[in-house]
Amino acid sequence: MRKTLLALAGTAALLLGLTAPALAFEPVNVVHTEKVQAGPYDLTIGFSTWPVKAMQSLDFTFAPENGIEGKKGTLTLYREGVEADDSPLARHPRKREVWGLDIFALPEQGTWTMKFDVEGPEGTGTGELKNLAVMEQPGPPMGLSWAISTIPLFGLIALIVIAWRRTRATVD
Amino acid sequence: MTVNITAAATPSVGTVPRGLVPAGVVLGGTLISLIGLTWDIQWHSDVGPDTFFTLPHLFLYAGSAISGLASLAVVLLTTANAKRDKAVDPLVGGRAVGVFGRTFSAPVGYLVSGIGAALFLVYGLWDQWWHGLYGFDAVIDSPPHIGLLLSISITMVGAVMVFAVARDQSWGTYGVAVAAGTLLAFSMVTVLGLSALPGGPVNTVNAGSAFFSVMILFMGAYVLNRRGGALAVGVVVAFLQALFWWFSPWATEVYADATGLPLRDYVDGIPGLPNMIPMSLLLVAVAVELLRGLPAWVAGALGGVIITALAPLQRMLTYGSNFPALQRYVATVVAGAVLGALAGMLGRRFGQMLRHLAPAKEDRHA
Repeated sequence: MRKTLLALAGTAALLLGLTAPALAFEPVNVVHTEKVQAGPYDLTIGFSTWPVKAMQSLDFTFAPENGIEGKKGTLTLYREGVEADDSPLARHPRKREVWGLDIFALPEQGTWTMKFDVEGPEGTGTGELKNLAVMEQPGPPMGLSWAISTIPLFGLIALIVIAWRRTRATVD
Repeated sequence: MTVNITAAATPSVGTVPRGLVPAGVVLGGTLISLIGLTWDIQWHSDVGPDTFFTLPHLFLYAGSAISGLASLAVVLLTTANAKRDKAVDPLVGGRAVGVFGRTFSAPVGYLVSGIGAALFLVYGLWDQWWHGLYGFDAVIDSPPHIGLLLSISITMVGAVMVFAVARDQSWGTYGVAVAAGTLLAFSMVTVLGLSALPGGPVNTVNAGSAFFSVMILFMGAYVLNRRGGALAVGVVVAFLQALFWWFSPWATEVYADATGLPLRDYVDGIPGLPNMIPMSLLLVAVAVELLRGLPAWVAGALGGVIITALAPLQRMLTYGSNFPALQRYVATVVAGAVLGALAGMLGRRFGQMLRHLAPAKEDRHA
């Protein structure tokens, strides 16, 4: 019993020991920037990978020149001119001094626009990052990925078909 | 009152009925998976940063590991007994089937739950590769995530099977209700994968939720084949929904505090997974009970209509969303009626099929 408890405690300690350093989250690493003028506000848009590819997630940062203190705003995303998403500008969870989107992917290739509506001590302003080219998604075609991922479902259906046939005489 | 035949035959087991321990461990594993999933979804929406080793992820891995190891243990013990020509009790997981010829003798319920756990490992590798290519996106309905969810669902189906075998005993009856309720709650996340399907004006996720909810409710009702079967599954789901409504945001906040991470700005505080479960399910369960005398497709269609008609109201109540466009709403309710009718018939049949897993009472007394 004592040995079992010791082994359990050891396992727990190992697990926690391994988990703690693994929880050190990656810093936001900006490799490319673009500038947007939203009325009186100079915004720097940062990307953690460049070029942007469809479905590939990255960190976006949105930094007004004099910081985000006292300012708020909205980000609206358009793909080929059609609104795809809108949300309030929120602080990046791993870079709290700027706004941002963490591990965020643009779902489809094409030309995207990011529209910023900013409100602050100097009034309101709107600016757009136009012609953000999002390249084709990397990896296998989605049809193939879905085919691989739904094998368990088809296996389950096969099991049901076998069970159905074997019980047909008695159930019907 | 139920009579515990097998426990009387093996007094060394004491008061624990034979088959209860491994079935309980498999079910416990699936519940841990469900806890991990609701926590993980909340973590991504309220806090964000992700690694392989977050606590919610460890719950997800541990759930499948526990169910898988318990299933493996039962298969190995059954194989050893079969090789020594000892009688194999079909009350433990159902009749044994040969795997790889006659290398292994596996009770069919544990074979299914074990295969689910093994698939989880394979899809874990597929998911790791996917994240390497696409980044640590928090997209719940990516193909590998749906593969992982389907694998866990197969383990959950195995859990329903191992309890269905013992449905004549009280632990089997309660186990079927809890295992089916767990599968139902979990499936409400898996159906998010249906958003990848072209549904035209139909909301495929709502229609899919209606289909799986009705099917699993009927399955529970017909495997137990007694008044209150569907209601028991509905009550289990409602209990899990209420529990996770409190647990998911609470655990997320506690874990964020413990790791020194801030909550996101503009967190709405609405529990993600519990809100995917239709609150109208209890109503559907009552309808299934009341319409027991009618063909299954009638109650099924009504269940599908109730779920799809009330789903937008639930989102209006919780998220303050707008009512959907009328054409989309009507198309989805019609799809809910058709799919609900089909689900009623399928669920009834699945319940009857599950009853065949257990040897007939006469055989056991013989």
